Amino acid sequence: MSIADSTQFLCFLALSAAVLLGALGVVLLPNIVYSAFLLGGVFLAVAGLYLLLNASFVAAAQMMIYVGAVNVLILFAIMLVNKKETLAAIPGLGVRRILSGAVCAGLLGLLLRVDFTTPWALPGPVSIGEGATIRIGEHLFSDYLLPFELASVLLLMAMIGAIVLARRDVFSSDVITGEGVDQGLIEKARTPLLLEKNLQIQPVLEKTP
Amino acid sequence: MTLQAALEPVLALPAFLALAHSFPTSSLLAAAGASPAASPEALPAITALQINAGAIAPEAAVLVAMLACLLVDLAGEKAASRWVPPICYAGLGASLVLLALQWNAPLQPAFLGSFLPDNLSIAFRGVVASSTLLSLLISWRYVERSGTPVGEYAAILLAATLGAMVLCGSTDLVTIFVSLETLSVASYLLAGYMKRDARSSEASLKYLLVGSAAAAVFLYGASLLYGLTGGSTSLDAVALALQTATTPVAALALVFVLATVAFKIAAVPFHQWTPDVYEGSPTPVVAFLSVGSKAAGFALALRILVGCFEGFQEQWKLLFTVLAILSMVLGNIVALAQTSMKRMLAYSSIGQAGFVMIGLVCGTKDGFAAMVLYMAAYLFMNLGAFACIILFSLRTGSDRISDYAGLYQKDPLITLGLSLCLLSLGGIPPMLGFFAKIYLFFAGWADHQYLLVVVGLVTSVVSIYYYISVIKMMVVKEPQEASDVVKAYPPITWAVEGMQPLRAALITCVVITAVGGILSNPVFSWASTAVTGTPMLQRAITLASATSLS
Repeated sequence: MSIADSTQFLCFLALSAAVLLGALGVVLLPNIVYSAFLLGGVFLAVAGLYLLLNASFVAAAQMMIYVGAVNVLILFAIMLVNKKETLAAIPGLGVRRILSGAVCAGLLGLLLRVDFTTPWALPGPVSIGEGATIRIGEHLFSDYLLPFELASVLLLMAMIGAIVLARRDVFSSDVITGEGVDQGLIEKARTPLLLEKNLQIQPVLEKTP
Repeated sequence: MTLQAALEPVLALPAFLALAHSFPTSSLLAAAGASPAASPEALPAITALQINAGAIAPEAAVLVAMLACLLVDLAGEKAASRWVPPICYAGLGASLVLLALQWNAPLQPAFLGSFLPDNLSIAFRGVVASSTLLSLLISWRYVERSGTPVGEYAAILLAATLGAMVLCGSTDLVTIFVSLETLSVASYLLAGYMKRDARSSEASLKYLLVGSAAAAVFLYGASLLYGLTGGSTSLDAVALALQTATTPVAALALVFVLATVAFKIAAVPFHQWTPDVYEGSPTPVVAFLSVGSKAAGFALALRILVGCFEGFQEQWKLLFTVLAILSMVLGNIVALAQTSMKRMLAYSSIGQAGFVMIGLVCGTKDGFAAMVLYMAAYLFMNLGAFACIILFSLRTGSDRISDYAGLYQKDPLITLGLSLCLLSLGGIPPMLGFFAKIYLFFAGWADHQYLLVVVGLVTSVVSIYYYISVIKMMVVKEPQEASDVVKAYPPITWAVEGMQPLRAALITCVVITAVGGILSNPVFSWASTAVTGTPMLQRAITLASATSLS
């Protein structure tokens, strides 16, 4: 094994350990701020794995989107709702943990089996390193043109929707009739089912000949 | 929203169109060089692939209408409520006309194989576009009455339509995912559109969480399929790779993809989101979700399961049989206990999806044709029912079934329309729904799916029971037994702007539902042309008949 290979192997081991330990920490630590920072660490380590695979563009995208945007957003959200609140203990928490652990372990076993029994015979095209960015650009404007253009519609619509849902409203009346409105469903809130007085459907059904 | 945000895509549009029309395909592929199939003997096939942007002309019409809605909306709420409806009618009408022109045209893959405008996709895109058109017709008054912005509402609904339409014709994993997300994200936004209402926000949040999980599962399945092909995302390559694939990985990919499809069509046990989302979303949005979104889900199911997983037919047909039986039984039985009209229609739509799955499981020509026919029939009868309950809630502010008591004396139109649509949903002759359902059961019986057909028949009877109890509630009650809401029923007026489109949509749906059954021969031939004009389905049918003979 040459020096280059062993260095690469060591880097791979270190990054994988960082991903695994970080991910366990994200799930298991009780303090959500630690979890959020560890999540950032996991994203960084995954970016390192992409670099090892010669996929520098994907690594950069991972850094910018996951570490730069998603993780910072999560931290902002935690800061904004930083309210001390004692949560009631969930009944049967131990059983739930064991159950969900069993489900996850089962899924892991299934994935491992699939991974090891499948002959991944096709290695795919060889890695082209720095040329990947150019190749991605070519793909975006040739065989991935339609999804690329559709993604612009998706982003535009998501932005408009986010603004509509988040903004303070400038008008509070029906534009046609001028009545006051409350931006709620037209079907007004119902009393809970058991308190409903004129529960008329049941008698009718019973009277059916 | 800002001016810049609205203008940006408009500025990008001409460039996109110019690109689409004069695209030097072959030269670019030559420049790309090492594309996987660029061996010399494959070259003619590659150069024969054109951009063929005309294939998405119907989607382009929807896109133009969406951008025009956003632009008009900049001029204020008054201008929006005046101009957005005609813009939407024009866009969707143009889209439907363009779809009709594509019907039976010589088949050419578009966008280098990411999109295929075959007859199947045209039929489903037509269903999606019509469902949007009808949902918009019944939504203007509802949206204005609740005081939410009309322009953005129409734009987001049109974006959802665009996503659903592209999904119906896409033949590439990346296109499928992006269009699925366009549809889903737009649906989450629309579900939470009544933002001051806690129920609407809850619906949106639930839909977002469950939908994101489903999207992640789909991505995992798609990445496994991508790994199997060794570097191609086209569904043809996936189908080829799956023929020689080993079982575990392909089975896992099948389960993941199937879970997403089942989520989209709300099949039991992937249905938990449906009742809460349907109850909390604005009613016109529910109308779109129950027809348009579901049609796109079925198109996706056909495209992936029938087109790609041919070698795993037994497995996925077994899974879908289980899903169909569960959906029919649970959807129709739980619907019996509902007191809210929207929740009842939610469970009924789960049951209806179960009926449509019979056609999918058959895999014969009749089965596919019956699916297409049932979706088309379901479009009119379900939207007709929704038009009626929207009109009722606009007048009374209620959607409780018990509040419909004695309605026929105050509002004969709603009573008649709702009765006809519900009878048709239950499958009572001579409505449109009866013929569609009998065709489905006939196809299932001919393909020896006896269990499915028997379960379908029994649950149809159950569904007739709860549909008829609503009708009984409206018609049989004496005036003094009428509910308080009906006793205080407001005088009927159609003068307010936005009520006339609602009336037009209601009457159209009800007339088609009532008369369509008798005049259904053209619809039958249309549905079977949709199947014969689709090479993918033809291949599956030949394969199925060959295996049944041997």
